[in-house]
Amino acid sequence: MKTHWHILVVDDEEVMCESLAAWLREDGYAVDTAASGRAAVELASRQDYAIYFIDLKMPGGMDGIETMMQIRRLHPEAAIIIITAYATVDTAITAMKEGALEYIVKPCNPEEISLLVSRTIKVKNLQRENAILRKKLTRQYHFQDVISKSARMRGILDLAHEVASLRSTVLILGESGTGKELVARAIHNSGDRASKPFVAVSCAALAETLLESELFGYEKGAFTGADQQKLGKFEQADGGTVFLDEIGDISPKLQVDLLRVLQDRTFYRLGGSEEVRVDARIIAATHVNLQQAVADGKFRDDLFYRLNVIEIRIPPLRERREDIPLLAQHFVERFAHESGKEIGEISDGAMKALMDYNWPGNVRELENGVERAMVTCRGHSLIEEDFAFLHENGALAKGWAVPAGMPLQEMEKRLIAATIQYTHGNIKEAASVLGIDRSTLYEKIKRYEIPR
Amino acid sequence: MKPLYVGATADTDREALTAAREFLSAQFGLPVRETELPGVDFAFDPRRNQYGSSAVLDMLARLCPPDAAKLVGLTERDLFIPVLTFVFGHAQLQGRVAVVSLARLRQEFYGLEPNRDIFLDRVRKEVLHETGHTFGLVHCGDRSCAMALSTRVQQIDEKQAAFCPACVRQLEHGVTA
Repeated sequence: MKTHWHILVVDDEEVMCESLAAWLREDGYAVDTAASGRAAVELASRQDYAIYFIDLKMPGGMDGIETMMQIRRLHPEAAIIIITAYATVDTAITAMKEGALEYIVKPCNPEEISLLVSRTIKVKNLQRENAILRKKLTRQYHFQDVISKSARMRGILDLAHEVASLRSTVLILGESGTGKELVARAIHNSGDRASKPFVAVSCAALAETLLESELFGYEKGAFTGADQQKLGKFEQADGGTVFLDEIGDISPKLQVDLLRVLQDRTFYRLGGSEEVRVDARIIAATHVNLQQAVADGKFRDDLFYRLNVIEIRIPPLRERREDIPLLAQHFVERFAHESGKEIGEISDGAMKALMDYNWPGNVRELENGVERAMVTCRGHSLIEEDFAFLHENGALAKGWAVPAGMPLQEMEKRLIAATIQYTHGNIKEAASVLGIDRSTLYEKIKRYEIPR
Repeated sequence: MKPLYVGATADTDREALTAAREFLSAQFGLPVRETELPGVDFAFDPRRNQYGSSAVLDMLARLCPPDAAKLVGLTERDLFIPVLTFVFGHAQLQGRVAVVSLARLRQEFYGLEPNRDIFLDRVRKEVLHETGHTFGLVHCGDRSCAMALSTRVQQIDEKQAAFCPACVRQLEHGVTA
């Protein structure tokens, strides 16, 4: 896995700079060059490089050592290799004292540089893997871990960030696989409860009685097999956050119990008579349309309003397609590290297939899709054929069929209604999406009696 | 499909040139033409007693025939880039030209008895390797693949005169000549 590692070569001699850069590119690295120390520091201020090759003697009042010192101020862990044609013991000692990884005298044996580069990259790979594993282990997700360049998502994340330090209940809405738990964890980790537990419960995964004992715990002897007292998730999360996933699936009885926790912050363990008081923030999530469930009488309206203090609605992936390339590349890099496969890129054809697909399973489906493609991939980049299974799923967006036999006006009415829903009632945005001006849209809304 | 070209100066080993031409033709399934190239004395560095490969590549780029998909030059001269003691060859990554030095491919260079078979085998592998770079292939982690990095002649001998399946697949999707 090389292509995502960037190397910077710094030398005022163009031929030296370009030839080393070309040699490293043949090895599969992305290489930038800088003709002066100042230019190198400028590049380093924009991004950190895996390795910096810096020539010792450079004109312009900024030699290799000074360049290295300034880069190390920006990136204390930078791997810097000083190159010189005029080796002296003094400069070697200075370079090493200032933190150079190596000091090499040119010309040097190709094998020496090759080993040095591969050894350094190996360490970088291990450092990155370590960071990934550590993050996985602690699941300390933050907002910067949510990968998105969508304006809608940035707005959502800003809101989530603002409410992180509040105690208010948060309701996260979104289809399966949109990353509701990731946002919940980020809220928890960004607030003042970060050092306390984050306890996640999937309400859909457990039967009613099991869920009840999971949430509230039980006393010894509460039921057959309850041979000792067990604390429930609310108590485990005391001081922290309880994440109730798929809240729309809980039974009417549990809805009542939960309402009491939300109102009084108290509950009883199963089989217990002692009231237990907890300080746990509740973040709930669901893919169900809770307002509809309330209207249908399946979900208590008082519980809904208690939960829906702050509402965060995560859009499905098909409504933020601009994030697909970012997310796909992120998953490629992650799985390449985990599997040791040298796959670094996604071909244009493959990316088009990903962009065309509708992703009913959202980010989770994309994650699984990339993982599956990487298992079967035989090259260094993922190609369209690696994603052939998307066609097999039969859900390619381009397979959307025009409903033949429908009057044109009915079609237009439905399209306008769907677009207004998509823009959450924002007429200006809807007009822009439809490619018509606002007054025309208002006229059509009136004519078709479209609710807003 | 545009043809490939192999070129050399008149004093270059003719058998090596023929081996390179026939081998590239078989590997890429393209016609391969021969062309005569001028000498590379302009690239000589008296301090190192070697020839700068970057300058040679610049010359090849200027001389590359308009109808050529790629031009691979062979030279008897020992090549270098400033930071390295030598290079077996040098190519424009995803470009049109490459050069292979025959100097270090001969057994005699290492004080051993001459061996034409070993020499020509190395020529084929290095020509294939540098041509692979011009098609955009980078070094391959499979040590037996012709695109594996060789920093010693023993590593050239260890690899096959063929691309591994992964590199073949890359080529199939990336060959734009």
